[in-house]
Amino acid sequence: MIERMDVFRALTARRTDEIVVITMSATRQWPVVSKSDLDFDFLAFGMGHAGDFALGLALARPERKTIVFKGDGGQLMSLGSLVTKGAYAPGNLLVLFLENRTYETTGGQPFSERVDFDTLARGAGIEGGGATGKGKVERIETLAAFEEALPRLLTEEGPHFVILPVENNEEVPTISHSLHSGRVRTLRKALGVD
Amino acid sequence: MSTNGASASKTLDAIKTLGFTHILMIPDSESDRLYRAIGSDPAISLITPTREGESMAIAAGLWTGGKKPLVIIQNTGLFEAGDALRGCGLGPKVPLRLMIGWRGYSGAVSGTGVIDSAYTYTEPILNGWGIPFWRILNDEDLPALGQMDRTAEETEMPAAVVTGYAFRD
Repeated sequence: MIERMDVFRALTARRTDEIVVITMSATRQWPVVSKSDLDFDFLAFGMGHAGDFALGLALARPERKTIVFKGDGGQLMSLGSLVTKGAYAPGNLLVLFLENRTYETTGGQPFSERVDFDTLARGAGIEGGGATGKGKVERIETLAAFEEALPRLLTEEGPHFVILPVENNEEVPTISHSLHSGRVRTLRKALGVD
Repeated sequence: MSTNGASASKTLDAIKTLGFTHILMIPDSESDRLYRAIGSDPAISLITPTREGESMAIAAGLWTGGKKPLVIIQNTGLFEAGDALRGCGLGPKVPLRLMIGWRGYSGAVSGTGVIDSAYTYTEPILNGWGIPFWRILNDEDLPALGQMDRTAEETEMPAAVVTGYAFRD
């Protein structure tokens, strides 16, 4: 298991101009390590759909990586979206799949212990798929392995679906989320759309 | 008297004239001809998600990134996608453009057969969410697509057309 904040710190140490989409509990911790107009707080934008929003961003902005921290509980709310990514995800989409085996935000309720996300992602056609036919599904178990993989994940053509078994032992701060409409327009401005 | 149902090719022409870059579409029996027309036209990107909530979120991401998507779904899918439409359209003021197939309309207005509850709840749901909409029942109604598009642009909110019959060739 990897400490979730260590995942965030490792990414911010390597990040340059990538879009980062975060959701649920992670939206309270990510701002501790990053303050960028290319960060997008998806909280309250639609249950289970952060990865779908990121897919749209990646398709619209092929010149830069779009990274999404996707939770396993949220994925269960939109399992079919794995199939969509298997068919359409472009090479610049990087899904960092935070697997903690619970619905953390709502109190840590467990879901079926029998779910295998690696198998689900492969079965949905992401491995060898996506729009490029170069999709990769991988599972990274340690922080050292994640840090070693990051330069490749940030530059290599994907799409990538990386499963990271995580736990959280650090404080989850209380933050005030900004208005929905403001978040969207801040990102559009940062991308040069508006 | 107009023929019931809009032409798939004329509808596609209208969509292209308005500059849509991507179409998020889940096929249904009444939009099948339009689906095939879009799929055979390389000028526009067709994406077929697995559920309508996905369509809303992907479209919101495309719009945030500077593209102009059109979401084509059936009313049954509209009902399914309620939270995503709220979260990705109404809440953040993202001008999602929606074309919604009105399943049950033709049966209801013909006075034959059982009224489909999907027909019954379509307009009240759109009204309840404050989403302006226009009906497209035949080719003469196709300019409504432009009205819908302009309204979404000006209000920076979702807007819709509802299509009352199956698309024709």
